[in-house]
Amino acid sequence: MELTDQISINLPRESVFAALNDAEILRQAIPGCEAIESTADNQFTATVSAKVGPLKARFKGQVTLSDIVVPESYSLKGEGRGGPAGHAKVQAQVRLTENNGVTLLDYEVKADIGGKLAQLGGQLVQNTAQKLAAEFFNNFEALLVPPDAPASQPSDDDGEPIKPDSAASKTRVWIVAGLATAALAAYLTLS
Amino acid sequence: MATTEVEHSKDWLGARLARKEDQRLLAGDGRYLADIVLPGTLHAVFVRSEYAHARILEIDSSEARAMTGVVAIYTGADIKDVIKSMPQPVLLPNLPARYPTFWPLAIDTVKFHGEPVALVIARDKYVAEDAAESVFVDYEELEPILDPERALEADCAHVHEGDGGNEIFAMSFCGGETEQEKQANNEEVEKIFEHAAYTVKERFRVQRTGITPMEPRGVLCEWNDSDGLTAYITTQRPHIDRLALIDILDISAEKVRVIAPRDQGGGFGVKAPFYRENLIIAHAARELKRPVRWIESRYESLMNVGQERDQINTLEIAANENGKLLAVRNHCITDNGVGTTGVYWGFVMPFLGNVELPNAYTWDKGDVRLQVATTNKACLTPSRAFGHFPIRFALERAIDMIAHKMAIEPSTLRRQNLIPSLPYTSVTNEYYDSGDFLKVWDNLMDQADLSSFRAEQARAREAGRYLGIGFACGVELSGVASEQLVPMENQPGYGAATVRLDPRGKVLVFGGDAPAGQGHETTAAQVVAAEFAINPADVVLKTGDTGTTPFGAGSIGARAGSYFVSAVSDACTQLKDKITRILAHDLQIEASLQHFEFKNGEVIYLGDDTKRQSFKDIVERIIMFPINMPEGEVGGLETTAFFEAAKPMICFNADCCVVEVDIDSGEFKILRWVTSEDVGNVINPMVVDGQMHGAIVQGLSNAMFEEFIYDDQGQQLTADFEHYKLATAADVPDIEITYAPTPCPHTPLGTRGIGEGRPSSVPGALANAVCDALTPFGIEITQLPLRPNLVWKHLRDARQQSDH
Repeated sequence: MELTDQISINLPRESVFAALNDAEILRQAIPGCEAIESTADNQFTATVSAKVGPLKARFKGQVTLSDIVVPESYSLKGEGRGGPAGHAKVQAQVRLTENNGVTLLDYEVKADIGGKLAQLGGQLVQNTAQKLAAEFFNNFEALLVPPDAPASQPSDDDGEPIKPDSAASKTRVWIVAGLATAALAAYLTLS
Repeated sequence: MATTEVEHSKDWLGARLARKEDQRLLAGDGRYLADIVLPGTLHAVFVRSEYAHARILEIDSSEARAMTGVVAIYTGADIKDVIKSMPQPVLLPNLPARYPTFWPLAIDTVKFHGEPVALVIARDKYVAEDAAESVFVDYEELEPILDPERALEADCAHVHEGDGGNEIFAMSFCGGETEQEKQANNEEVEKIFEHAAYTVKERFRVQRTGITPMEPRGVLCEWNDSDGLTAYITTQRPHIDRLALIDILDISAEKVRVIAPRDQGGGFGVKAPFYRENLIIAHAARELKRPVRWIESRYESLMNVGQERDQINTLEIAANENGKLLAVRNHCITDNGVGTTGVYWGFVMPFLGNVELPNAYTWDKGDVRLQVATTNKACLTPSRAFGHFPIRFALERAIDMIAHKMAIEPSTLRRQNLIPSLPYTSVTNEYYDSGDFLKVWDNLMDQADLSSFRAEQARAREAGRYLGIGFACGVELSGVASEQLVPMENQPGYGAATVRLDPRGKVLVFGGDAPAGQGHETTAAQVVAAEFAINPADVVLKTGDTGTTPFGAGSIGARAGSYFVSAVSDACTQLKDKITRILAHDLQIEASLQHFEFKNGEVIYLGDDTKRQSFKDIVERIIMFPINMPEGEVGGLETTAFFEAAKPMICFNADCCVVEVDIDSGEFKILRWVTSEDVGNVINPMVVDGQMHGAIVQGLSNAMFEEFIYDDQGQQLTADFEHYKLATAADVPDIEITYAPTPCPHTPLGTRGIGEGRPSSVPGALANAVCDALTPFGIEITQLPLRPNLVWKHLRDARQQSDH
């Protein structure tokens, strides 16, 4: 399974990059995340509970980041296992670019999913992934941009203010939700 | 039961009698394996591999063991030194092969997605399911071997370590015994191809598909130290399963009884092998001294069984300028899967399939080679049209393709090359005993009315509609004779039946087979009723219990209409002989069986019809009042007969399909399906029609929809009916079945066994019809499943080519 998408986040990319590597932010943002831990440099493990259709499982995952160019890009390799529910192996490339204070996050993901999860069929798994990704994104943004914080008003080349496109972002297939976390593999299992 | 009034008792043969078993089945009174309840039964659930190929690093069942209600958990390590490894001789064919060694539960390595890794036994199914989910298995993934052609290459890793290769079985089928003879034959074949006026060579691919019985597998085992093991198994072959349990679990033979439930929701080959699940459940029942049962889920079933076909046939045929078929050459590569299913091992099917390659045509020479590759997929298991569904598709397509080259009607080419008279021995040394292929073919052509169709087709094309007609035929085994079954499976082929008369004039029949919906109870009753001139309602058939039935090879390979009913008939004849000997004595006449007629419940002396006695009275007299008997006679009326014809027997059928193809979408609709059948004498036309309907629908479903899919990691993605699509009533046409029978001279009633091989001519007829419709585009279909997207791709390619 291969996925690519672009997400815009209404923050400078240094902040986004840092948050994507902050275990505590991720723990709070990832729906169902029970634990997340940095086990070594650029290595995380995490436990996430998720429900996909008839399957309810606790996924344990491990993710290693490499080729890190702060704050531009990194590669990621992960594995998540949900016991009888299934498992996933993930490889991803993540790239961050900034335009007027808005970060564009591009990702390419290749995932091999197995076990019962693989057999549930694309639509059900896809729907669940969308729902979880939207939830993660909401949480992530809420954590980084408190509602009462004075928002800097980025503008585009014509000087018009760029509206944060958070409604659109929320509904996007936001697989990247898990990308930077140890729970990531479990997420991609769901996508 | 609806009865048909018959004037003469013989007329029970051929009567369209409502099936005796349907009364209970339709009323919900059927009793299947899961309906059998023994007090204190424990429930078993398997933990199965989620990888196609992986090393087992650890199995942690501590959490499961601690759960209330969990009674036992078995892993490979628990049984490795307790249960013998397979294969054991009882499950081995007489075919030299590279048989893998394995146990009921995986040891160290899992080799396909779905392989049993652990067994959890608990007080009920719910606890067992929960506990099974909490068993933690740590795996180290290994590279799966998934492509059969790659698997056969010398540098490919091996599915079974230390096995020397992935070629589990290979054979060549033509041209004598010695290497020299074979080489000479193959050179002659090569010469024919070099000089032939017309040749076709094509690679035909048929997907992994097969059969999905309505009732999945199941087993319920009970042990006590005095009686030993009683095993209820969903099986077509209880007597064979019993021997396997005896030999592999080392239980003294008198202490093992296997019972196939009277009602089984279909077998179709899936319930013919002996499965590893049976062994471990029996072992657990013996250890725990409590009944243990396992009922397979649909998920498990689709993961493990019913997968067949999966062949690549590189097929060549040659014909001379007059349209005479000269030679056939085939190289078949079969994807065997893991090869751990007893009796068949995955390769017995393509073995027989290649034997059946020549079909009903006269070839001068043949060169047929088979290679079967082990892969990290579920083992192939038998499915109706055992082994030859893909091969027949290939051959029937190749015949149309060569006819297209010759620019003659494919049906004309077929008729010209049909074997004109029988008996006949094919180039693969298969014996065809009897029948009249031309009669069957001509009947089909009468029904099809080809010239009217061609006119209609031309009119339709002018209107922009694409109609097509396709034909195919199939020689099928009528039962499987010992001559075939001993070499293939090390098992006898005879039919077996015990007929026991009751003092009240009723009849109890015990059959050695174990039916799963074929209507044995009705056909056996009609045979007995015809023999004794009584009512079929007075006859009861018991099957499936090795404790009460005579040894039989089981319900496989269309044996009911050939071997089983013949054994029933022979047993009745033996009893009639005894009845008339004693009746002649009582009537003080010199007479024997031939001088009596059994008619309307009476036994009548033909020389003087005042000398007669009711069937019921003479039966009661012989059983209950055995005094004043003829010298040397004793009372009692019960006998067992075993039937076997001197040579294997066949049946024959032909199909015609008419389709309309939408050339924009590739969708096609079957407008007509007509058949012509030689099934010999028919006992119950409704039962035979049912076999034909079921077989043709299976053939269409396999050809158009069904496909077991493994991804590039060996994950099986089609483990439910959302993803493994079966044909529904809306998908299949009305089927016009017609008969052109020739009674079989080798069975007492002239019957033939039918239904097993019947799906095999279906995909050829269908694909030929689609290609005929698309003649303007020159499209030749060479793979299954034949779905609209495949047709559309061919149309797109054809149009792109014509654009250039």
